[in-house]
Amino acid sequence: MDQQKETVLAFRGLTRRFGGVVALNEFDMELDNGQIVGLIGPNGSGKTTSFNVLTGIYSANGGTIEFLGQDITNWPAQKVYEAGVARTFQRSRLCLELSIFDNVMIGNHKRLNQGILFNIFQRKALKAQIEENYSEAHKLLKIFDPALAEKIFDPVGSLRMIDRRRIEICRALISHPRLLLLDEPSAGMTHEETRELMDDILEVREMIDGLSIILVEHEMGMIERVTDKCIVLNFGQKICEGAYRDVASDKLVQEAYLGGE
Amino acid sequence: MTQSLKDKLVILSLAVLATAFMITFLAIEEQAEIFALLVLAAVLVFASAKFGLIETISGCLSRNERLLNGAVVAATLIVAFWFYEDHFPLLMIATVLLYTVASCGLNMQFGYTGVVNFAGAAFFGIGCYTAAVLGETSVPMLMVIIVGGLVAALVGSILIIPVLRTRGHYAAVVTIAFGLLFRTFLEVNDALGGPQGLGVSGMNIFGWDFNSGITLTDDIEVSFYMNYVILALIMVMLTFVLMRRIERSWIGLNFDAVRLDETAAACYGIDIKHWKILSFTLGNFLAGTAGALYAMMLGFIAPSNFAFSDSLILVSIVLLGGMGSLWGTILAAGLVVLLPEKLQAIQEYRFLIYAVVMILILLFRPQGVLPRGLRAYIPGWRG
Amino acid sequence: MDVGLLGQFVVNGMMLGMMYALVAVGFTLFFGVLDVIKFSHGDVLMVGTFAGFTTYIGMTAIGIDNALLQLVGVLVISIGSMAVMGAIIARYLVLPLKSAPPLNTLLVTLMLGTVLREAIRLFYPDGSNPKHFPALLPTDSWAVGSFTLRADSAILLLAGLLVIIGVNVLINRTRLGLAIRAVAQDEETAKCMGINFKMIVLLTFALGSGVAAFAGVMNGLYYNEINFGMGLLLGVIGFSAAIVGGLGNIYGAILGGFLFAGLQTLGAVALPFSSAYKDVFAFAVVIAIIAWRPTGLIAEKTSERV
Ligand SMILES: Nc1ncnc2c1ncn2[C@@H]1O[C@H](COP(=O)(O)OP(=O)(O)OP(=O)(O)O)[C@@H](O)[C@H]1O
Ligand SMILES: [Mg+2]
Repeated sequence: MDQQKETVLAFRGLTRRFGGVVALNEFDMELDNGQIVGLIGPNGSGKTTSFNVLTGIYSANGGTIEFLGQDITNWPAQKVYEAGVARTFQRSRLCLELSIFDNVMIGNHKRLNQGILFNIFQRKALKAQIEENYSEAHKLLKIFDPALAEKIFDPVGSLRMIDRRRIEICRALISHPRLLLLDEPSAGMTHEETRELMDDILEVREMIDGLSIILVEHEMGMIERVTDKCIVLNFGQKICEGAYRDVASDKLVQEAYLGGE
Repeated sequence: MTQSLKDKLVILSLAVLATAFMITFLAIEEQAEIFALLVLAAVLVFASAKFGLIETISGCLSRNERLLNGAVVAATLIVAFWFYEDHFPLLMIATVLLYTVASCGLNMQFGYTGVVNFAGAAFFGIGCYTAAVLGETSVPMLMVIIVGGLVAALVGSILIIPVLRTRGHYAAVVTIAFGLLFRTFLEVNDALGGPQGLGVSGMNIFGWDFNSGITLTDDIEVSFYMNYVILALIMVMLTFVLMRRIERSWIGLNFDAVRLDETAAACYGIDIKHWKILSFTLGNFLAGTAGALYAMMLGFIAPSNFAFSDSLILVSIVLLGGMGSLWGTILAAGLVVLLPEKLQAIQEYRFLIYAVVMILILLFRPQGVLPRGLRAYIPGWRG
Repeated sequence: MDVGLLGQFVVNGMMLGMMYALVAVGFTLFFGVLDVIKFSHGDVLMVGTFAGFTTYIGMTAIGIDNALLQLVGVLVISIGSMAVMGAIIARYLVLPLKSAPPLNTLLVTLMLGTVLREAIRLFYPDGSNPKHFPALLPTDSWAVGSFTLRADSAILLLAGLLVIIGVNVLINRTRLGLAIRAVAQDEETAKCMGINFKMIVLLTFALGSGVAAFAGVMNGLYYNEINFGMGLLLGVIGFSAAIVGGLGNIYGAILGGFLFAGLQTLGAVALPFSSAYKDVFAFAVVIAIIAWRPTGLIAEKTSERV
């Protein structure tokens, strides 16, 4: 671990406003290679906004984002993905009409041959690529749930919430990103399901070299179990950073949560 | 009997049934008989839906795509040759085929990618006018079809900026405005014949003149429309292959992702603009090629053929068939073109009837009559 | 240029602007409460105008030929019937598709527009030909130099202005307006606060459609000619005006309406070949302006939440 203690991601003074609301206020953070960081804070504290600014959905009003040594502030979403950032969404955003395989392949965009002539005329090569990616998707899905892997050609709309969450995570992981952003993956799940899901994520992390994760979560048990460090946001400002134990006993944090509820 | 043999028999008997139906439908003229035939067809369809036959049949069809495609082409040819000396049925068949090509273009745009286009008739019309203008020159007529498509695609690219920049479905108004602009422009413009329109020379491939009948023997004279039926059928086949290949590739997946969720698509590297431009341009190209041949076939075009309601007819075909559904488009093109021609009672009211039917479809069966299924990248492949 | 001609252009432009603004306000109201685009709006306007025209014929037939009475009758029937129709459209076509993709709402209302247009063309007596709309307003005129201001123009402009102000007061100063704005802001919260969501939607659609009917009658009175296709052009321009003004914003809609009219009038003055190409120019302006300002001159409420 320590031999490659390289900084994967750094926010410096990141700021984003919506009208009068300051959703992110001079937010600084760093994330090392292979780390899992928990990003917590009361509702509306700017967690999702930080993901949105990082992935290029919203532009930053100030500050910089550095990823793997490059300044990626205000890059378009597509370029951020190409650089190796993949995410899930707080409100699941899958294409419900499409099959599981299709949804996972959307996440694999950068590794598929998108050439127009290739796709239309080189059917043999395309077929080989499809089959190759099929087995990879199948393998990945199997880690999360073997039953799900068998339903790979079913439409996503027919699945339960927990399966949809799993597929969203597979969609993010299939392209071997360097940074995975998970926005409340356990929303709408039981404790047992949450635990399973996290185990699966940890298992996959072993497979992908140097994968770092930022986890936004309200479920503190999960945060405590898996994160290397925690960052607490309140009204867009970082109020505390450190190991979960220290953070949980911090006075400011307790106030923020009590005040926020 | 093995499953596959059973499948084949089912498809063949369906093809025979459909061919017989089409021939009868095109042949009879007595309004009451036509009406009775349609009622019979409707009863048959509903009955087979009731007894679960539809599922059996569609399962059987999807297992044997090749055979199905071949059977449909053969059926079309048989119907066409049955009427080899009658102008009207052949003209109808060719019209259905060309409307199919144009509707496939629209389907690519909003069935696949969700880029609305309510100026379909305008792009079809650009193809028509290109054929009219180029027919006077020495450009080979087969080229003219392609050029018709290219000009449509090129003119469409003027709209790309507003279409791409507008959010959600506001793009609709851009295309509507363009459709209205196109028609008014043609009417006030003298160079292109004004409201009277233009004559168009017929198709001619290496000296084979499409506009003269084919005399096989002394007493067998084939209508010149047969030439157009065959060429239009070839165009439909090419379009079909193109649409299918696009759908069953990563391009089709990108199109779907763009249609269903632009934000998520962007977060996974999909360049929204790139795919929208591709689908818009290809769609307009298809509409333009169809228009070019259509103009040559009719020999005459006027602005009144390209009104807003004509664009809505193309939209109706896509909706009725089911967004993104190829067989649906073919079926719907047949219904929408043929019914008013055969049932004179509804001819005058056709726009009204279509619009009412579309409202009912959108309220009660938004997926259309033959909904598009899940993507099968490789037919019959299940991992 | 001659002052009289210039004045004529100004009056003409103002009149157009007023009509566009009235149509645009409808689009903006519907978009505000329901986030939908109702494309049949222009055709509702057209049907309203025909309803008013029919009222006039009916009143003449039963011997009421006082112009003022006729005018009142025309307005009441036209606006009233379209308000009812707007509510019916909302109830049976728009609300049922609330959870469907927005494209479906767009298509359904587009098709409804066709139904209305075709119904008038086919079933209204001699509906496919333009109709002569009566001049019910006094036609005296005042001459200022070489410019003559006709009384009917002045009255129409004033009336249009009053309607716009009225709608504005309704939206910003009354309880109903408050409810409409609440629903537009946040449907869920508004429901929690005890606002009858469905009722507010129906009322908003009634209001917007009534205003459109008024614009239609205004159009008839000014040009003295109506036809079954008139709604299409007014609808497209009204919608573009609403977009350019920033959908959901009443002031934006008014601004957008006058902007379009201004450009169209300018085009008519400046371009030599413009008389024949008047409509071509209008549609080109629609496309160009949308390309230039796709989300409006006045910024929209919020960006999409992810
Ligand atoms: N698109 C937007 N437009 C306007 N305001 C926004 C937008 N997105 C976020 N906000 C505001 O920014 C603030 C932070 O929101 P954000 O969604 O980042 O919170 P969060 O920490 O993810 O909360 P939660 O735990 O509820 O998901 C909130 O006040 C929210 O209202
Ligand atoms: Mg959030």
